[in-house]
Amino acid sequence: MRQRHAHWPVIGALLLITALIVGYKVIVLGDNPGDLLPTTQYNVALDLRLNGHGEAAKVRTFLPTSDRHQLVLDEANTSPGVHFSAQSEELNRVATWSGAQVPDGTALRYAYSVLNTELRYHIPPELQIPSSYPRSVLPFLRPETDVQVDAPEILAAVAAAGADKGSVLERLQAIYGVTTGLTARPFKGTTDALTALRLGEASCNGRSRLFVAMARSQGIPARLVGGLILQPGSKRTSHQWVEVYVAGHWVPFCPTNHYFATLPANYLVLYRGDETLFRHTSDVDFDYAFQTSTTLVPSVRAREILGRFNLWALFERLELPFSLLRTLLMLPVGALVVVFFRNVVGMPTYGTFLPALIAAAAGSTGLGWGILGLLLVTLVVVTIRAGVHRLGLLHSPGLAILLTGVTVGVLGVSLIADALHLAHLARVAMFPIAVLAITAERLYLSIAENGPREAAQEMTGTIVVILGCYVVMKSLALQMLLLGFPELLLVVVAANVYLGRWTGMRLREYSRFAPVLVKGGV
Amino acid sequence: MRRWLDAFGRRGDVVGMNRRNVELVYALNERRHYPLADDKILAKELLSAAGVAVPRTLLTCDGLYDLPRAMRLIEGLQDFVVKPSRGGGGNGISVVTKRLGPGLWRGAGGRVIDADELHYQMAQILFGAFARGALNDRVLVEPRIVAHEAYQGLWADGLCDVRIITVHAKPLLAMVRVPTAQSDGKANLHQGGLGLAVELDTGLVVRAVCRGESLTHHPDSGGPLLGLRLPHWEQTVDVARRAASAVPLQYLGVDIVVDEREGPLVLEINARPGLEIQNVHGVGLNPLLEALS
Repeated sequence: MRQRHAHWPVIGALLLITALIVGYKVIVLGDNPGDLLPTTQYNVALDLRLNGHGEAAKVRTFLPTSDRHQLVLDEANTSPGVHFSAQSEELNRVATWSGAQVPDGTALRYAYSVLNTELRYHIPPELQIPSSYPRSVLPFLRPETDVQVDAPEILAAVAAAGADKGSVLERLQAIYGVTTGLTARPFKGTTDALTALRLGEASCNGRSRLFVAMARSQGIPARLVGGLILQPGSKRTSHQWVEVYVAGHWVPFCPTNHYFATLPANYLVLYRGDETLFRHTSDVDFDYAFQTSTTLVPSVRAREILGRFNLWALFERLELPFSLLRTLLMLPVGALVVVFFRNVVGMPTYGTFLPALIAAAAGSTGLGWGILGLLLVTLVVVTIRAGVHRLGLLHSPGLAILLTGVTVGVLGVSLIADALHLAHLARVAMFPIAVLAITAERLYLSIAENGPREAAQEMTGTIVVILGCYVVMKSLALQMLLLGFPELLLVVVAANVYLGRWTGMRLREYSRFAPVLVKGGV
Repeated sequence: MRRWLDAFGRRGDVVGMNRRNVELVYALNERRHYPLADDKILAKELLSAAGVAVPRTLLTCDGLYDLPRAMRLIEGLQDFVVKPSRGGGGNGISVVTKRLGPGLWRGAGGRVIDADELHYQMAQILFGAFARGALNDRVLVEPRIVAHEAYQGLWADGLCDVRIITVHAKPLLAMVRVPTAQSDGKANLHQGGLGLAVELDTGLVVRAVCRGESLTHHPDSGGPLLGLRLPHWEQTVDVARRAASAVPLQYLGVDIVVDEREGPLVLEINARPGLEIQNVHGVGLNPLLEALS
């Protein structure tokens, strides 16, 4: 007979080993174990549409460049029939699409991925305004049409704010105070510095121009910066903020969203200077949108430090998708969720791992497909079982017909959905057939062995557990944690060892055994 | 509130699935001996070798190749039962009560059964359709048991059996499972069968429960249930005790029927008996287990 408490040392050992590995990694990495966690990669696609009416047309815009703040990867231009060029012009990288006979409805796409890091600057409090600047910086002290550096009202505002005396930091704080203090207003179009000051309200470009004008008036070089605030979805709005030249560095400020000497990770710089994001031939109908999505990828630091035991590098070498690694690592967690539902809650499910497998598959195709696939399989099984039963077929051939039914069902739904132009539904065939086939067999056996009532209960339980697994397995925080510290799977094992020896009542058994528990009847 | 707290405090009395598996099934029954319980043919061989009374075996059938012989033998039988050797929950069982002519019989419900249907039934059994998680099985054909009139009085259309839970061959709890109209002729408690709690020492029915409800009379026939004294009770418990001693499994549910001529016969033994018997008795297994050790 087994030792009653033999499992405790095992649990202790597993937890200890995990703690040692995690501890080692944290200590070796010094004060930044967060470097091991994956980072968010933004996948940006600029979609351009123009109606060239079959005549010559030209569009130009700015492309992001890599620097300390942003790493631009995997750039790809798609512009059939239109000539594309990208070249550096002064501060910026300019993209130009041009064609001699551009038809109506021409669609162009420029896609790239960016890995960003937040930049923070520290401005020494005692730093004074220098008496001279390098020649290249001098243009950023001059007035411009929309940046009225010499206007008396601007100078008066500088003085009123106290930005005309003290250290660089004090003056910038005063200017930042004035520009962040303006009332927000979602202007479309350009607001110059003076107008923003007079109205006391402005959008991002008005605030930024006022900031630049006030800084330049005090002999601090400053310039506008234009770009995107990255967030998943589709948008047309670009953003403008400011860079100020301090002690040899261009230090970012965003008076609109309140970033002082900080450039947040989701800001993407497209151009510097007072520019217009798009210029195009005047008589083309022109439209654009930035499509942004995010994926989790290994951080740049983590790629360097993990060395030999680097699963990320392995997957990269084997050209396997990073999302597969994520799914694999989350599968044991999903199985633990199933175990919890079965042994602690007492929820009946088809098989032990099927809900976790369905949730994992749904993780890459979407939860809707998991549930839809399950319902489709149920429909096929119930229909075919009725037929197989009537014909009096033997067991295995019956199951083989079932699999055929599942295949036909999936393809049929795809065909019908495609005919109805339901693009998403048509992709139901993407849901792993192996998972559907196993589900079908389990359901068939369950109906045969336990009857339709119990099979329906198992079905309900399975759907609930799939939802539970999905929520847990989809958790970004957990995924990051497991990707950074895969040794945490040992904790999952320890939890299973514990639950494997846990003899408590399942939640549902409290109602099942109510006749015993509640004396004097229920 | 007080009542529910008390109920929660009594949770230690009840053996739930987790406790049953860890502390009874895994601790007392070695996995390699499961086939003795799961396979009726194996169990019968072992039990009869140990001198425990079991129903006679009319024939067994090992595979499709053997089916024609089995069909020829069945042709000469009057009343019999066809069972999957490794079935559970009463699934896949056909009861034949009378031979009507060549290749024609009357089934338990009065329905006419022909040779084709029996042939199909046996083929399904051989393919493991009723054996949990297995792809093949054997057919077992036994004489139809005619229960003692006291049991027939409980329910005439199906077979009532006695389930006795034993630990280290000591009987702990006993109940009689009675089919109802709802349970489709099967004595399975999950399918709406009726459970009668029986005192081990006396054979007296002290409680009757159907789907968690306490009853005094059979829900269909209206016959009284409480206070019945079961026939051949001492012998029934003794057969359970001897069956449990004959197998290397230490935690068992022994199923017994009392035949009108042959007395108590062991129908099957179960290495993972259900826990519903606690509800039938209104008593948790745990205090009984503690008293045992």
